[in-house]
Amino acid sequence: MNRPDKQPVKSRLADEGYEPWENNRRIPLPVIWVAVALAVWGTATLLRDSGSYAVAQNERQSGETVAAEAPEGGEALFLARCSTCHQPNGAGVRLAVPPLHGSDFAKAGPEVVAQIMLRGIDGPIRVSGFAYDGRMPSFAAALNDGDIAQIASFVANRFGGTGAALEAGQVATLRAAQANKGSWQGGAELAALVPDLPTQPPMPAEAKPATDPAISALVFAGKSDAWSCASCHGDLGQGTENTPRLAGLAQGYIARQLRDFRQGERHNESMNSVAKALNDHEIHGLAAYYARQRVASAAQPALGGDLARGEQIALQGDWSIGVPACFSCHGPSGFGVAPDFPALAAQQPAYIASQLAAWAGGHRNNSPLGLMDRISEALPEADRRAVADYLASLPAVPAPEQRAEAKIDGGKDEL
Amino acid sequence: MNRYLPLVLISLGILAFATLFLVIAPGIQIAQRAVSEGLRPYTEQEARGRAQYVSLGCVYCHSQQPRSPDQAPDGERGWGRPAVAGDYVFDRPHQLGTMRTGPDLLNVGARLPSASWQLTHLYQPRAIFPWSIMPAYPYLFEKKAKAAEGDTVVVLPNGVGPADGGVIVARPEALDLAAYLLSLDRTYPVPANSLRDDGFARRGASS
Repeated sequence: MNRPDKQPVKSRLADEGYEPWENNRRIPLPVIWVAVALAVWGTATLLRDSGSYAVAQNERQSGETVAAEAPEGGEALFLARCSTCHQPNGAGVRLAVPPLHGSDFAKAGPEVVAQIMLRGIDGPIRVSGFAYDGRMPSFAAALNDGDIAQIASFVANRFGGTGAALEAGQVATLRAAQANKGSWQGGAELAALVPDLPTQPPMPAEAKPATDPAISALVFAGKSDAWSCASCHGDLGQGTENTPRLAGLAQGYIARQLRDFRQGERHNESMNSVAKALNDHEIHGLAAYYARQRVASAAQPALGGDLARGEQIALQGDWSIGVPACFSCHGPSGFGVAPDFPALAAQQPAYIASQLAAWAGGHRNNSPLGLMDRISEALPEADRRAVADYLASLPAVPAPEQRAEAKIDGGKDEL
Repeated sequence: MNRYLPLVLISLGILAFATLFLVIAPGIQIAQRAVSEGLRPYTEQEARGRAQYVSLGCVYCHSQQPRSPDQAPDGERGWGRPAVAGDYVFDRPHQLGTMRTGPDLLNVGARLPSASWQLTHLYQPRAIFPWSIMPAYPYLFEKKAKAAEGDTVVVLPNGVGPADGGVIVARPEALDLAAYLLSLDRTYPVPANSLRDDGFARRGASS
């Protein structure tokens, strides 16, 4: 009799007693190669990326040096900063922007020019026989002493024919003397600075309409179903980040945006909610209130955009991507052309960039004729940041006179 | 598992290496920088609000670290310039967060500076944004028949308020939290020597 199951039982017992073990074997050479290669690659990446910091730091330092030393000549600065209104040849724009060429103010020398640049003009002025509605921004915050000295010397020399030059130190003295004085009140006040001026138009009596207390309450206290305007847009409508600057925007433009918000044609949840709480009278009053505000710029470039590229888009556009110059519609230096083209100068960069993105993405589509939709779509993201930063670097222009608004109010335009 | 010693040594080595490069070296780098000009410590009320922020777990949905433009369009969203290490000097523990279920909050005090708006939004986010998935925090507020002297009444649009004509007033907790949110404003210019995230800057290297 065989016992065929005996052997398997034995071997099963042996199996259960089996202790696994491993031979000491060398790590295969390819594995070592891979490990070494990974280590080399990791170290190289570490070294290369530590270079990124040095690159960016150097670039920032050189950028600061450039800004501090301002190697550009007065002419280059004039072309970048002044020629968008006064024209490259200083001829001005008839009935709109006073000429510099041969004007009494340019002839009066660089010190006068520098003082006008520092404070800006906000009042009627007579230049070379024609009266103008003076609306020049103050460049005190936008330009440093060296830049102002160079531009003033250039203007007095080229357009006034005086040979005098101004130094940055003298501008610093003038800046201290003229600080916190507000804009020049038209030619009448400048006549004290420049002797032998022809008769200047008188400053019109301040016809500031008293603000309706109900509107004032809306602005500063809000009501039970709407937050106050000032709590987001600032006391004078300066704006911050993507809350837009309202000060000095055309009355018709503000009113139209509020109506669009109320009807849901323009989308912003907070503004939709506020606008629904407003009646027509309140919209009209608020628009008039903010259109009158005159406040210096609170915006500064913050999006890391290329300012030179932004300047190019604003001044010339880029027809290779089908983008016209911003200033061709929004007025010289982005003053705005009431009522459809809002002022862009000194607008908050995050707001401009986010609105451009909104138009491109179809989230905002209340632009007349869909103009901005197409332009925004054509602008790449870096260009949107560049142009927003450039516009934020511009000084704010004094708000237009109330009588100009009255014309719009009386007109039959459907705003 | 018959060679414990080399395994233990190697794991300790890796741990020491990571600690050196992820904790000690950055600590030394950051300790060399002074407090940014333009940054101030939290006031007592803001600090209480900060404790609320931590206890409500806001960090689980909101980050506090705007990115540089080559990583995300945070600047265009109005979230402010890229944060630098110095922006968090007074934050212990920091509330950087990793989730962006909600928007980044580092500069919310600059982009939504209205305390009144913040209170409405905390009471009922859907009063403003119908699509919002943020929880409401009604227990930070109380309902009263009539506002007493010194009460902060919450602005409530769209008929969100009490049906019987009462008012919703903010409890101190809500005011503290709003004060903290408004103090989140790091829009001052970046100090020249600050540590910052330059992404993968190659500018100038190639050109």
